[in-house]
Amino acid sequence: MKRSQKKKIIATGILSVILIMVCLLSVLFGAVFLTPDEIVNSLWGKFSGFCSTNVYVDIIIWQIRLPRIILSALVGMMLAISGTILQGVLRNPLADPYILGVSAGGSIGAILAMALGLEFWFLGISTVPIFAFLFAIAAVFIVYMLSNTGGKTTPQTLILAGVTVSIFASALLSIIIIITGDLQSIYFWLLGSFSGSDWGAVLAVLPYALIGFGVAYFYSKDLNALLLGEETAYTLGVDVEKVRRFLLIVASILAAATVAVAGLIGFVGLIVPHFVRLIVGPHHKLLIPLSALTGMLIVVIADTIARTIFAPIEIPVGIVMALFGCPFFLYLLRRRRTYIK
Amino acid sequence: MSGILHVENLTCGYDGKPVVKDVNFEVKLGDFVAIVGPNGCGKTTLLRAIAGLIDPHAGQIKVRKVPIKKMSRKEIARRIAFIPQMMEPVQGFTVEDLVLMGRTPYMDRFAFETDDDYDISKWALEELKIEEMAHIPVTQLSGGEFQRVAIARALAQEPQVLLLDEPTSHLDLRFQIKILRLLRKIRRTRSIIATFHDLTLASKFCQKMVLIKNGEMIAAGKPHDVLTKENIWKAFRIKAEVKTNPRNKRSRYIMIP
Repeated sequence: MKRSQKKKIIATGILSVILIMVCLLSVLFGAVFLTPDEIVNSLWGKFSGFCSTNVYVDIIIWQIRLPRIILSALVGMMLAISGTILQGVLRNPLADPYILGVSAGGSIGAILAMALGLEFWFLGISTVPIFAFLFAIAAVFIVYMLSNTGGKTTPQTLILAGVTVSIFASALLSIIIIITGDLQSIYFWLLGSFSGSDWGAVLAVLPYALIGFGVAYFYSKDLNALLLGEETAYTLGVDVEKVRRFLLIVASILAAATVAVAGLIGFVGLIVPHFVRLIVGPHHKLLIPLSALTGMLIVVIADTIARTIFAPIEIPVGIVMALFGCPFFLYLLRRRRTYIK
Repeated sequence: MSGILHVENLTCGYDGKPVVKDVNFEVKLGDFVAIVGPNGCGKTTLLRAIAGLIDPHAGQIKVRKVPIKKMSRKEIARRIAFIPQMMEPVQGFTVEDLVLMGRTPYMDRFAFETDDDYDISKWALEELKIEEMAHIPVTQLSGGEFQRVAIARALAQEPQVLLLDEPTSHLDLRFQIKILRLLRKIRRTRSIIATFHDLTLASKFCQKMVLIKNGEMIAAGKPHDVLTKENIWKAFRIKAEVKTNPRNKRSRYIMIP
């Protein structure tokens, strides 16, 4: 493990440098291509206090691209952490941030806000994210209550309750869509996008991202103990039931916050933890920070592609990730046959 | 020598149905206790109750006079280690990773492994004579090797009581003896309770034996006092011939089918 300590520092360092470089590169691309010169000038202008001469470039960088890049990074990180936690806590490789009903609840919340015309602006914030967030949390709460018998839950009942509540919710969703006839707005919302990013959204999710990361990192011992089985985790001093409840809440809040600001974004939460595990092994102390960084990296790259490749038309970021990520992941999976056992 | 573990009037089971009924015994420092009895008699349930995995319906378990009910999970884990019959080897863990997990109950929420934890894990590996395997992935180990790793992990918990559920059940003869020899060495500084199916092996290595049938304790004491012809008939409904070596009072059991 002392070796992995060194490994961890090196891997985290390399990934962080790559991430910063990718983010800076990503600022270049978009519907309007900027030159590195313009970006350096604008960034330098902001930090040194001298106003850059080109207001147009300033707006593109500071009002459009940077918040979007940072938001996509944060969302990628939160989904990756949420997925890592849930796969660990539920001891199920198919667990992802949406498995406990976050996506279903969030969609219903969003469509209700849209359908009921509650989309008014309140303190400068649209109510759609607030509704999505609250309904997502409510769905997880219902799932937890349904699977709780006598103060005990099992991963199996949690997953089954989550899947069932999700199916029920999507039935409700279809009914609401049929009644309101508003397919377009909810469809785009369901696909997930960062097109509406602003600094408000960044500031809104930042605390969740930081706290979520901290919790996941300091619970990595408990997640490791759970790898040995529930019973063994108990005899190692981990109060499995309590830890599980707490981590489920944290993972779900993380997922709900991403749903609120960016809609549903698949792939990251399910695949990134596996991807990192394939490379560095199952140790959560290593897995959590590296998943967080990889999640950031993948979503930033995917979103950059999503908004540039057919500019000015944007394609949903989840589709980009699935198109490029799935073949790569399957290639890795086949190369490391032992992983599937 | 003082008693480390007291099992007092213990009744426990699942869903309100008692599996273990009113069991009493005491374990002293250095005791190697064998729990024997037919399948389904409650051996494993008894171990699980001592490990704090199930709550007793009645009675209590005390470690050094303190009931485990009053302890936190961590406090129990620092005193009692449990090695289940089957432990799944985790893909991607090395032997050292797994043994270090035994230090979990000593780590604070916001801290990670200290040098002490590494030293104790190393010591546990040496006790089990597997220090050269430290960096081998656990999935590459044989059953016997993995059992030793599992015991090293439990030892890294520095427990006063070590519980093993059928530690020899899927090992070949050579590894059965090897594991029992290692356990006999380990017990000098702590107490061991293990369940067994092989009566001869159990009586050879343990100083104390608890015989259980249908959750009730039929006999407890020195192996040659517990495993009499009559008791074996009572517990297993099997006729046995007991051959006792008059010199060391060790017995062999020959089952008559």
